[in-house]
Amino acid sequence: MKYSYIAPRTKTVFTPEVKLMLTFFSITIFMLLSTYAFLLFKEYTFLSDLKSIQKSQSQLQTDLSKMKDDIVFIQKENDLAKSIQTKNLVLKDSITNLFDLVPQRITLSQAKLDTNSLVLYGITPNKDIYNFMLGAPLRSIFHRTYSSFYPVGNGWLRFVSTNYTDDDLPTLEGEADNEN
Amino acid sequence: MKFLESLYIKVFVSIVVEKEASDVYISIYSKNKLIDSYEESYDTNSIDEKMISFIKSYTKETPYFYISILDNSKNQGAIPTCSKNLMSNYHDMSESTHKCQNSQWTHFTSKNDLYDIERKYQDIGIDFIFSPFSVLSNFFKDKIDGPIGVFVLLQGESISLSVFENSELIYAQHLDMNIIQDTEEFETIDTVQDIMMEGEDDGIDLDSVEADEEMDSLDDFGDIEDLDDLDDIDDFDKTEDVEEEFYQESDGVPEQESEETFNEDYQRFTHIQKSIHNFYEDSNYDSEFLENIYIADAVGVTSELKRYFEEELFMNVYIRQIALTTEVSELAVSEVLT
Repeated sequence: MKYSYIAPRTKTVFTPEVKLMLTFFSITIFMLLSTYAFLLFKEYTFLSDLKSIQKSQSQLQTDLSKMKDDIVFIQKENDLAKSIQTKNLVLKDSITNLFDLVPQRITLSQAKLDTNSLVLYGITPNKDIYNFMLGAPLRSIFHRTYSSFYPVGNGWLRFVSTNYTDDDLPTLEGEADNEN
Repeated sequence: MKFLESLYIKVFVSIVVEKEASDVYISIYSKNKLIDSYEESYDTNSIDEKMISFIKSYTKETPYFYISILDNSKNQGAIPTCSKNLMSNYHDMSESTHKCQNSQWTHFTSKNDLYDIERKYQDIGIDFIFSPFSVLSNFFKDKIDGPIGVFVLLQGESISLSVFENSELIYAQHLDMNIIQDTEEFETIDTVQDIMMEGEDDGIDLDSVEADEEMDSLDDFGDIEDLDDLDDIDDFDKTEDVEEEFYQESDGVPEQESEETFNEDYQRFTHIQKSIHNFYEDSNYDSEFLENIYIADAVGVTSELKRYFEEELFMNVYIRQIALTTEVSELAVSEVLT
């Protein structure tokens, strides 16, 4: 101070009114920033959840697709099983019918049933009994039938009857290959 | 902070207390430039609700407001030294506070009076308290750096008298008119009335005027008859301040006076005359002859006062009108903005 006996009071822009206003502004800004930070956090967690859900969704879709494939495969297996069952039933019936076909006088020693062939080994008293009682039904069932005879010591004939069908039955392996 | 400060206006409030009235001057500065000013006068020598309301209506606009007041303590003065060791030669400073000016001279005032002022204006608070001697030296700053001269600040109840030579204070005294009036009022007025009455008859007969102490002191200045050497008179003429005279003529001083102002002017003259006499008598000061007296007039003196000095003390008198509130405001501005 050049002239005055006393020094002036300290002057500041932070008057009580300004302090009050700044306090309110500070609180408001703090609340805004807090809200912003909270929203940022929520957005982060939301995005994180979204990614997790998307990953899960993708996994589920993959699983679903795999399951659909499995279902299709199982259905096909089921169909095949049913088909096989049906065929087995047919085969069973065929075998039953086959043994029903064999007359009392002819004795079967061996039978080889293949997919599309049937080979019978047995003993017949003579060729006529065989041709009339067994050969005829076999010819009606199979497309091609071949018979061969050779004599046994007591006059009877040992025969080998080979029968083929042209219609191939579907096989499991064949079905699977077709699928692929 | 400086940046924030520059955004606000600055309000300077200056208060000058005179007898039973107070003048309040408000100046508003923006970017160190005066943009507006207002002045009000109140019929109180203290502070009242109206004054507080007027001041606060401006100070509330900015936190940067400064309230200054002119010290009206009776126990104030100025001494021609800044040395603490030498101060006691002039004044006992134990009860006073002081302020050194330009490392050359010191003005002082009573500590208790400062506390009184601060207590009286505690509702608005006081930032600056200025001495009349600061106002005086600032007002006559273009003159105090010249040859020796008497510089007087006339207020309603007090007179601040100082003698400067080349910006150096030689002598100063603060005169309270009320205190001296109590003891000398009647005597002074009687003497003046006597002179007037005798003058009405057949002119003033100097021999018939009873010589009192003040009149005796005139003898110390030398008898007019001793000034028989015309060269000396020429020397006086050289000391006249022609420039100041020119301004004074253009300003003009009231010629007409009422009896009341006549008495007051004569009282002022006698007080100043007595103080000048003290200057000559006191061994602390070099009694250099005082030829020029510069008066800062805050009360509106008449041409009679000038005539007293010219005719009785043979001094060149220069009177300038002073607006005390404005001067106090300028001091506050110089404290803050420079």
